[in-house]
Amino acid sequence: MTPTATPDPTTTITNPPPSTITIKANEPSTLDVSVGPQHPGSGHFRMVIRVDGDYIVSVDPDIGYVHRGCEKIAEYRTSVSNIPHLERPCIIDAIHLNWAYVLPIEELQRVVVPPRGQYISTIAAEMNRIMSHLYWLAINAGVFSGHTTIFMYAFGDRDLFIELAEMLMGARLTYSFLPPGGPRRDLPTGFKERLLKLLDYFEQRLVEYDRIFFSNPLIIARAKGIGVITRDEAIKLGLVGPNLRASGVKYDVRKVEPYGAYQDLDFDIPTFQEGDSYSRFLVRFHEMKESIKIIRLALEKIPKGPVARKAPLVIPEGEAAGRVESSRGELAYLVMGDNSDKPYRVKIMNGSFRSLIALPYLLQHVHIGDMPIIYGSLDYWPVEADR
Amino acid sequence: MTQTPSREQALLDKLRTQFQDAIKESKVEGAHRVLVDFERTKFLDLAKFMRDELGIDHVKGIAGVDFPTRKIIEVLYFTGSYSKPELEDLIVVLKAQLPRDTPTISSAVSIWESAHFHERETFEMFGVKFEGHPDLRKLLTLDNWEGPPPMLKDIKFPEMAQR
Repeated sequence: MTPTATPDPTTTITNPPPSTITIKANEPSTLDVSVGPQHPGSGHFRMVIRVDGDYIVSVDPDIGYVHRGCEKIAEYRTSVSNIPHLERPCIIDAIHLNWAYVLPIEELQRVVVPPRGQYISTIAAEMNRIMSHLYWLAINAGVFSGHTTIFMYAFGDRDLFIELAEMLMGARLTYSFLPPGGPRRDLPTGFKERLLKLLDYFEQRLVEYDRIFFSNPLIIARAKGIGVITRDEAIKLGLVGPNLRASGVKYDVRKVEPYGAYQDLDFDIPTFQEGDSYSRFLVRFHEMKESIKIIRLALEKIPKGPVARKAPLVIPEGEAAGRVESSRGELAYLVMGDNSDKPYRVKIMNGSFRSLIALPYLLQHVHIGDMPIIYGSLDYWPVEADR
Repeated sequence: MTQTPSREQALLDKLRTQFQDAIKESKVEGAHRVLVDFERTKFLDLAKFMRDELGIDHVKGIAGVDFPTRKIIEVLYFTGSYSKPELEDLIVVLKAQLPRDTPTISSAVSIWESAHFHERETFEMFGVKFEGHPDLRKLLTLDNWEGPPPMLKDIKFPEMAQR
């Protein structure tokens, strides 16, 4: 595409952009550039940005390159065989996708998971949160800001957690660990000791991460004050999770609607007021510290007893919505049952799809060079958003 | 949870007094859920009241559900509040029933901007027309998808069935 002196309507976006944007339509000095959908670390995701020199004037996200019709397929599968299927949209955060799907089914079936099962799920979920944040730190924060050392560090350390996840759940990424009724397995022998040892090591590593990345003047210069969402804007756009908490809204499903063992465990919700890319970085960094705290507490307090109860295959008639705090924020599933073993309707409301609205908002009037940092700071996961 | 006389009930009472004829059914479902079944023509007034008077400030998601036998498409708005701490654990589900042959409802984008992409998705998947949406076009399916809205129950993909 070349800059056009006289605007040709066929080369410009014909649809009006989202309502947050006011653009100077058909400005002769602007140029439309397609970003994606190849995979420069961002996932298969495309947006059409309109640039004026080095500045982005408007953004039109064009998603759906990894849309697989998860919700439609779920209507053809039984309640249990949906578990491996519905955790696929975000494999690096599989436990949360699994858990949020199972919560409404358990509610409809009136199955209560025993306390030990709740604790094991909580431990697994917090391990998964650390793994997911490490993945984000490696790719979305590290690679996108050109910091290859943190990419190697975070990916290396993530693998240690993956090994322990395999020990507990039998798979490295897609665990299918929580069928209705409770986790599939109890903690294996020696798991607790290995996990505690790993947490001690990882706590030291976080100090190192802070030194080389989060306190690095270059990273601060790249991310601080870039891509600011104020508190009111974050509420208006309905952001979730770390992106919301970076803008000063202390909202976490683990606190507002506790599930699993979270009401017995004492932890903080890291919240920042600035709302810029750097505070979104910091929220996730401090969340990893809180996850360490939660796992230690849970391992200490875990009660004895059965792990799971038997749950029927049939989903009773009715509808229920369950939600968890996934690594990308509030994740809710609506499950409708009609007294058969297949759900009548499954609706996934996830953090990535809800972060999408922030992109056209944040990328307006910024340098093209700031685009990767802003995109990375949102921890947008295209597959989860597309479903 | 033992609130007296339950903030959910208080919230519903306010809605009922304001919109007596527009609300068909409203109930508290469990500890953190409220369901309001309303007449679709009054949606914008209801949404505006909920945002301005009750503090319901964002949409978490919009679920379309197709009921071919009852000849309706249900649209469920999952809404919540970030700014009111006493309501933050609630999910207020607004349910509208639209006729299956002409599923139209006013767009909530002018009131809750967070509904933007959710409405686009529901438009694409269920054919629900959100009147007044600033940018109602396809989002997830392929550009060359010419078929009917794929999430409708009479669109069947037998090859997806479990083998």
